[in-house]
Amino acid sequence: MSAEVVLRTINLGKQYKKRWAVQNMNLEIHRGDVFGFLGPNGAGKSTTIRMILSLVTPTDGSVELFRHQLSTEREAALAKVAGIVEKPDFYLYLTAYRNMQIAGAMTMGKTPSRTMIMDNLQLVGLASRAFDRVKTFSHGMKQRLGIAQALLCKPELIVLDEPTNGLDPQGMKEVRDLIVRLSREHKMTVFLSSHLLNEVEQVATHMAIINKGKLVAQGSVEDLLHSKLHNVKISVLPVKKSLAILKKLKTVKDAALDGDGISALINNADIPKVVRTLAAAQCKIYSIMPQRSLEEYFLSVTEEN
Amino acid sequence: MMNLVYYELFKTYAKWRTYIGFIAVAVIIPLIMWGMHLQSGHNFVQYQLRSLQSDFLITGNLFNGWSISQIIMNSLWVHVPFLISLVAGDQLAGEATAGTFRLILIRPVSRTRILVSKYIATLFYTASLLIVIAILSLGLGLIIFGSGDLLAVDRDMLTILPEAHLWSRFLLAYSLAIWSMWVVASLAFLFSSFVENAIGPIIATMTVVVALLIISNLPVESFESIKPYLFTTYQDVWQQAFKEPTDWSHIAKSCGVLGVYSAVFYSMTWYIFKRKDILS
Repeated sequence: MSAEVVLRTINLGKQYKKRWAVQNMNLEIHRGDVFGFLGPNGAGKSTTIRMILSLVTPTDGSVELFRHQLSTEREAALAKVAGIVEKPDFYLYLTAYRNMQIAGAMTMGKTPSRTMIMDNLQLVGLASRAFDRVKTFSHGMKQRLGIAQALLCKPELIVLDEPTNGLDPQGMKEVRDLIVRLSREHKMTVFLSSHLLNEVEQVATHMAIINKGKLVAQGSVEDLLHSKLHNVKISVLPVKKSLAILKKLKTVKDAALDGDGISALINNADIPKVVRTLAAAQCKIYSIMPQRSLEEYFLSVTEEN
Repeated sequence: MMNLVYYELFKTYAKWRTYIGFIAVAVIIPLIMWGMHLQSGHNFVQYQLRSLQSDFLITGNLFNGWSISQIIMNSLWVHVPFLISLVAGDQLAGEATAGTFRLILIRPVSRTRILVSKYIATLFYTASLLIVIAILSLGLGLIIFGSGDLLAVDRDMLTILPEAHLWSRFLLAYSLAIWSMWVVASLAFLFSSFVENAIGPIIATMTVVVALLIISNLPVESFESIKPYLFTTYQDVWQQAFKEPTDWSHIAKSCGVLGVYSAVFYSMTWYIFKRKDILS
């Protein structure tokens, strides 16, 4: 039995004057997914997220959150949802604690307890700065405060729009680790929009790719990446003998010498067979490295469309 | 809802710009009083009574805290809308500028409730500013210039209002002034929903208020037909509190028109805000 659908968009579309920013967007996110939402700049990712979070009214179609229509049951639909859209912005003249109070009160209908706020600030390492004004915070600290306020009311779906934008490598890793933790330990469904392919590749279980406002692929990361041939680099000796063997295999395409190894297009599922064949011919395989499979896949589907 | 209003008030009063109005009146009112005190203010009374002094013998302290408060009400009438629009014009546009709409409008609270709480905070600020003006002008005025009867001059009529009734008359005047200024606050609030920075709503509000005030007060025949439809025509309703006898039907009509204007401005804001796409 498949998991409950927590977010569904049905023929979602947004038109600005004559231009469709998003058109016929049909997304389906199940409970427990870490859903990567990929697309080049200007593809319509932020517009889609803004429609999902009710910041922008769709021209067409609808959004369903936890089986509630966003257009007619807004409060019920958004009750278990939290999000950060683009960069997290706060009332800079207020302290982190007060910002958390305001965000919490608007979601829960009552002021969250001090313990609740401090626990969340602790989670993102900002407890010691709770009573400092947000205007004194760095971008990374604001990003972490954004995550803390989003988690305050224990949402079941968290929507993150480019959450690592502007962070240093350490900050990016911390956010990625946090996303994985939210999904594994807190059983949250995460909708993660990003243009950083490796970020999505590292954390997502499912993904969708959009281009020019249209959905071009959707499914589990595993299925999508394995449905196409990938460029792999094989480090093997002797090279010439191995190349001759690979060229004879029907599952291997475009095998050619590449530096001191061989590059070829192989479906992930066929790699064990290739290894067995080379080993049987007494070839010594040192490594088989996929060459940035998601990037390749991403470019192939966006260029096709 | 109470929680929303509480946090809107908290946000409003945590901003520096909110206190510009209070600081301005806290400087201007004592300054006017100091000036009046220096020239012993009696010249002002004599100026008002210049045509009557040959026929009447006027005794007692007619230049007192009550009269100074009434003078201040008259002289601040153009400045107060500016101070109100500073805050009211920032209520929605300020959130857009700061990007905090993205923080609050994704919450499971309807936009209508958010808008109502912001509107209540705006009206509260307007009332608090006028209450501070009342307390400062009456309080300081009575301390510095003492009490007495109030000389109320209305075109060709002069009325002396007895001291005993003046608390209730000033209470009525300031209540009507708050009601009247709520229209200005509602207008600035409306303009605030259009744009993403607070300067536009302030300038737009002041332009409208000043232009309509000019039309309302200019004795030009071609303007006569439109004057009854302008809210500025009714904004001096507070002056009715100092007339004898009080014209309650005039007060009711003026308050009705001003109330309709406030309601229309708020409804327009609601219509725009409900449909507003947050793109910033």
